[in-house]
Amino acid sequence: MLDVTRRHFFRDCGYGVGKAALASLLCRGSTRGADTPRAPESLAPKKPHFAGKAKAVIHLFMAGAPSQLDLFDYKPELAKLEGKPLPPEVIKGQRYAFIRPEAAVLGPRFKFAKHGKSGAELAEVLPHLAKIVDDVCILKAVHTDQFNHAPAQIFFNTGFSQPGRPSMGSWVVYGLGCETKELPAFVVMSTGAGISGGAANWSSGFLPTIYTGTRFRNQGDPILNVSSPAGIDAELQKDTLDLVADLNRKRLATVGDPEIATRTAAYEMAGRLQTAAPELTDLKKEDKETLALYGADPDKPSFARACLLARRMVERGVRFITIYNEGWDAHSDVTGNSRNNCKTTDQASAALVSDLKRRGLLDSTLVVWGGEFGRTPMVESNPVLGRSLGRDHHPQAYTIWMAGGGIKAGVTLGRTDDLGFHPVEGAVHVHDVQATILNQLGFDHEKLTFKHAGRDFRLTDVFGKVIKDALA
Amino acid sequence: MLPQHLSSRYPALLCAAFLALACGAAPILPLNARDEPKQPPTPAPDFNRDVRPILAARCFKCHGPDEGSRKAKLRLDTRDGAEHVLGKAKNSELVLRIASMEAGTVMPPPATKVTLTAKERETLAAWVAAGAKYDAHWSFVAPKRPEVPKLKIQLVHPIDAFVVARLQKDGLSLSPEADKYTLIRRVYLDLIGIPPTPEEVEAFVNDKTANAYEKLVDRLLASPQYGERWARKWLDLARYADTNGYEKDRRRSIWPYRDWVIKAINDDMPYDQFTLEQLAGDMLPNATTAQKVATGFHRNTMLNEEGGIDPLEFRYHAVTDRTAVTGTVWLGLTVGCAQCHTHKFDPITHAEYFRMFALLNNADEPEFSVPSPELQNQRAAIEAKAADLLKLMVGATAQQGDAYVAWQEAERKQAVKWVTLKPSKMEAGPTKLAIQPDGSIFASGDAKKRDLYTLTLEDLPAGVTAFRIEALPDERLPGNGPGRAYYEGPKGDYLLSEFMLTVDGKPVAVTGASETHTRGNLTAKMAIDGHPHTGWGGSGREGVGSSAVFNPAKPLTTKNAKLDLLFERHYAASLGRFRVSVTTAEGVKARDIPADVEELFTRPKGTLPNTEAILILGHWLYTAPELKVRRDEREALLKRLPAYPTTLVMQERPADNPRPTFRHHRGEFLQPKEAVKPGVPAMFGAQLNSPKNRMEFAKWLVSADNPLTARVTVNRHWNAFFGRGLVRTLDDFGYQGELPSHPELLDWLASEFQNPSPTPPLKREGLKPGDVPAPPPFLGEGVGGRGSWSIKRLHKLIVTSATYRQASLVKPDLLVRDPENKLLARGPRVRLEAEQIRDSALKAAGLLSPKMYGPSVFPPQPPGITTEGTYGRLDWQVSTGEDRYRRGLYTFAKRTAPYAMFGTFDGPSGEACTAKREVSNTALQALTMLNDAVLLEVAQSLAKRAVMHDGKTVDRVAYLFRLCLVRPPTADETASISKFYEAQRERFAREPERAAKVAGAGDGATERAAWTATARAILNLDEFVTRE
Repeated sequence: MLDVTRRHFFRDCGYGVGKAALASLLCRGSTRGADTPRAPESLAPKKPHFAGKAKAVIHLFMAGAPSQLDLFDYKPELAKLEGKPLPPEVIKGQRYAFIRPEAAVLGPRFKFAKHGKSGAELAEVLPHLAKIVDDVCILKAVHTDQFNHAPAQIFFNTGFSQPGRPSMGSWVVYGLGCETKELPAFVVMSTGAGISGGAANWSSGFLPTIYTGTRFRNQGDPILNVSSPAGIDAELQKDTLDLVADLNRKRLATVGDPEIATRTAAYEMAGRLQTAAPELTDLKKEDKETLALYGADPDKPSFARACLLARRMVERGVRFITIYNEGWDAHSDVTGNSRNNCKTTDQASAALVSDLKRRGLLDSTLVVWGGEFGRTPMVESNPVLGRSLGRDHHPQAYTIWMAGGGIKAGVTLGRTDDLGFHPVEGAVHVHDVQATILNQLGFDHEKLTFKHAGRDFRLTDVFGKVIKDALA
Repeated sequence: MLPQHLSSRYPALLCAAFLALACGAAPILPLNARDEPKQPPTPAPDFNRDVRPILAARCFKCHGPDEGSRKAKLRLDTRDGAEHVLGKAKNSELVLRIASMEAGTVMPPPATKVTLTAKERETLAAWVAAGAKYDAHWSFVAPKRPEVPKLKIQLVHPIDAFVVARLQKDGLSLSPEADKYTLIRRVYLDLIGIPPTPEEVEAFVNDKTANAYEKLVDRLLASPQYGERWARKWLDLARYADTNGYEKDRRRSIWPYRDWVIKAINDDMPYDQFTLEQLAGDMLPNATTAQKVATGFHRNTMLNEEGGIDPLEFRYHAVTDRTAVTGTVWLGLTVGCAQCHTHKFDPITHAEYFRMFALLNNADEPEFSVPSPELQNQRAAIEAKAADLLKLMVGATAQQGDAYVAWQEAERKQAVKWVTLKPSKMEAGPTKLAIQPDGSIFASGDAKKRDLYTLTLEDLPAGVTAFRIEALPDERLPGNGPGRAYYEGPKGDYLLSEFMLTVDGKPVAVTGASETHTRGNLTAKMAIDGHPHTGWGGSGREGVGSSAVFNPAKPLTTKNAKLDLLFERHYAASLGRFRVSVTTAEGVKARDIPADVEELFTRPKGTLPNTEAILILGHWLYTAPELKVRRDEREALLKRLPAYPTTLVMQERPADNPRPTFRHHRGEFLQPKEAVKPGVPAMFGAQLNSPKNRMEFAKWLVSADNPLTARVTVNRHWNAFFGRGLVRTLDDFGYQGELPSHPELLDWLASEFQNPSPTPPLKREGLKPGDVPAPPPFLGEGVGGRGSWSIKRLHKLIVTSATYRQASLVKPDLLVRDPENKLLARGPRVRLEAEQIRDSALKAAGLLSPKMYGPSVFPPQPPGITTEGTYGRLDWQVSTGEDRYRRGLYTFAKRTAPYAMFGTFDGPSGEACTAKREVSNTALQALTMLNDAVLLEVAQSLAKRAVMHDGKTVDRVAYLFRLCLVRPPTADETASISKFYEAQRERFAREPERAAKVAGAGDGATERAAWTATARAILNLDEFVTRE
């Protein structure tokens, strides 16, 4: 009798264990309230609005905000003005975090030269980027709304300055579902001292929590609790999972709630994660040449190692990876700060692009490099805080670069004025960058929406235009 | 109870009959065909149900309440506005436009990317054809108590009457009552958040009295753990956390507010009072400590301490949050949508948004010390000892009379005569400066990163040679002052960047600067160096006075001068209390002596009355080298004075210094426009009483004039029990929200909640006298009677209904007909909340601490959660003793890095108000249950309990099973688990090292390891994390 019922149930109601498991072989599982229909929230792979060029995104987030004036946006005029304040009409009405607007100008700290066929101008501290500069698209006139780290980082990641909205990665997985059956679809790594915006940067906001970014950690398990406790060996773990599955199956027969089948599927997925995570993070299988290309020590957490892991994740179907490199906040000694951070990131960032390219993955992987805002043409010095020769936060104009995923290679777009203060050509707002990232994945950013609190929300709020000039 | 075999074999209706009997009502008879409602001809679309949702979703954006984005001067949200396009069915422009195939004519226009479905077009056309009737939105009209449906067989419980009446329309009925094991676990988890012990279960199962269940419910409602369970749900709305959020995310102390919530809920404080105290407790007459603590509700907003922020900008964000949260929690409206522009859907204009904002925008935000009798006693004991020491010091002084006299002589020679200035005019931007009785100046209002105090000085004595600025402590200031720094820097810090004197509009050269105290290089000289970022800093001496003296290059020759004090730092750091004095004496420098004492030394010898002479003695006692040993002893003692815990509160600004509110264009902080007056939106047709302030706002929220609060509240509680609200969108009762599944039941509950009234006498036909149950527990005492706004009463009403008590078995046909269980033909099965899972596990293991209240605690979690990748790092020092095993609600909540297990199980971060938690089912949850150290410790403790339990393996299996899942296992389950146990025991016997690792320290590792593995498996069953 029960068997008949169950067969009917699985056949006619479309909730068979197999199906439930498939529909929710879900990188993180399924979601539902007692009331939520789950179909739209499944993590099963979904088609975007149109065929996108990119299948995955690697976002190299330079948290703290690199100095565009010392790395990308060469302004000889600043050298001439060094020590003098900017003209009053330029600085009128501007707000800064630490300095007064009338602070003196600080000239470029490094030598610049043109590189590649494209002739992109880069500072001497970016020698590796210089070698692949014909593969990237440099945007020199990006601007944002926020001038403090936490709000600006949250703004770049979620399109809004206060915590609570879904992050880019969450939107992407919400729209595309999940391809990998053994890893999370949205991964976050930190390679520095700490992220100002915190977990709000990879939160799913009001989207179902299954779309939250999963942290890959440097200490302990790469994914929380992915290894079994001491003494729980593989055989015991298998026996346990078998017993749990068996008893859950029996319970399902009595209770009839398909959510039980989903739970069993989540446990199967957990079992696979326990194998897949160590396999992913075991870099011994990478050849020496590749490790050297990135400059990665296989056993030591670093930005380089995270970049290599990101490539391995993309190969395994992970959709969205954000790697944070914190520490660019050069309120003092912008020279030393930039030099050190470039030492940490330049080689690996460039290696990531060239490695993806030689493996044929660059066309389908969008790499984005940049911070939450830029830095001032004016110097920051403050004897009380022990600061000198630094630069303050500058949201009016800064530089990011993108590569792969259908982005035009070997171009520099946008121009700032001679002081590097404001965009004068090709101004691009952070919402435009977000719209472009979604576009490359096949989404109309105005249509990727979720109804919450009475209205449709989207990543770009009510703004954003795809940067057409940046498309290949 | 209904035996298991019956439930699967008998048709639903029979089960319902059985249930009805069990509930004390006559059985529901199979429905007679005559009772089936006849199918009427297709009715005209209902405006609220069918039409407005289409208009709201597709049209209002351009043709709605927002004038700013309105196109073609057409609004479709009011009949008047739409009149000219509605017309008659055949010549209705609206119908023509939506049906048009031409790009230039069709509505909505293709560019909007909004399209109407064929069905939506039909509905709109049918509505126009039927006369295009507009109805008031259901939730904006006050609920009228509906009649309880008359059923053929009257059910005892009104909730059931409403639910069954609706089910009957679809030919459905309630499921039978859940078995007693399921029921007791359900009601325990729902009411107190933790499962019962096997003993409690046995007592209930064996209690055959008619009101066994009701007694159980009463006991749970009276349990202190009830308040802990329901406080957690309220804290989700209150966005409670123990840190400030944003980049630095430092610790804050606001747990006294959390404790207030627990107590208020346990005391069943009526919800109207609960509302008043949290929104405006500080404004109640003779507000008690508890009522002030209650205002922490809106102090749970975040505080950005990032270097260089504009503090007023983030205060603005906090008030927008307060406005939105008030809208969500009490009005069930998305008020926050009107921050940037007039609401696109609901009738709230942009100006009205800021009128509500203004109601919440007139408070200062101090820290408040919460005295407790216990601490008061401890302090008194220490202070008594310190007083004894002081007496000894006085005695010693008497013995060394000569030294004391000589010291006074020396001081008299050094004393400088100062004159305290009372400026004739004081300007300080948003800061208000007020002269205090002692001649000092107190600063109140909003501090900024750059504050300039301009003091107009008149009647200066001739030949002023020095100005003295005393920085004075004051308990009204952050950290007791003297400065106003309240974020980023040390509390009470200040930085006097520049001391600037002008006479007749010309700057006066100031060349001398000295100070009594300084930290690091922040000397008074830096306040005359012309550099705004350097200055005299009092850091390191918060809450303690100090002074600086500034000397003009030449004595002043005029009676009038202007003094500018500039305070500029990357955080707000102006002085909160200070005194300005001048002297004409020569060569004066800052001296570390209290001004009042110094003044006494300038008076003629021997003229001091005792009351003042004692000040001199006091200063001697605090400074005399002769008394150092005793003094050090006393200071060491005073260091042990326990501090009162602090909490964050609201404090309405004084009437003479209100904070103005402006409409902000696009909702942006930097774009304030015209000033607005406080008030509530016109749609409510009500005016607040004057003065229009937070208190009147709170009163209005819980008044009969407000149609929403009671509905929104009962709906949220309904959701807590059924996993789905009667209105599914808990936070949106506006046009875009979903319509109620049971509108009459919702309104009945809302009416009953506000005004409990006698329910009509029961019809008891068909029952023998012995079957007649006691009068149902939900009967009220009439309008305004006891039980008005009582949450406990509401809970009792809900959990005693047959609707709540029905089994949650999911029948295949029901799953097809009503997958969301909207109609409630079965009980809900919902995954437990994060804290419930933790608490259940600890309870099963016998580890759960019953300790209530106090600072938040730090149970174990994986390494690095609050440090790695976190800017505002927190060293997670694991609590020891019972604090390791407290209920989840006491776990320290760090906003940017929440407790890992809670985050994994959809717990909120405290960054935003959460009306409804997500319920996910994920692999990361599985990993937590399988591998987390807390769960392993639980399994080990369960293993100890199993080993201690008398009996064979199967008995121990049953015992473990019941500890974790409440019900006894089936024979089949016992067999599977026992087999697993035996297999593991055998393996562990062969591998003692592995056994020791799994079992933890102690004897008999083999058995304990095997039981640990067994308990771990049981904890991982779906049933353990599910409320059936």
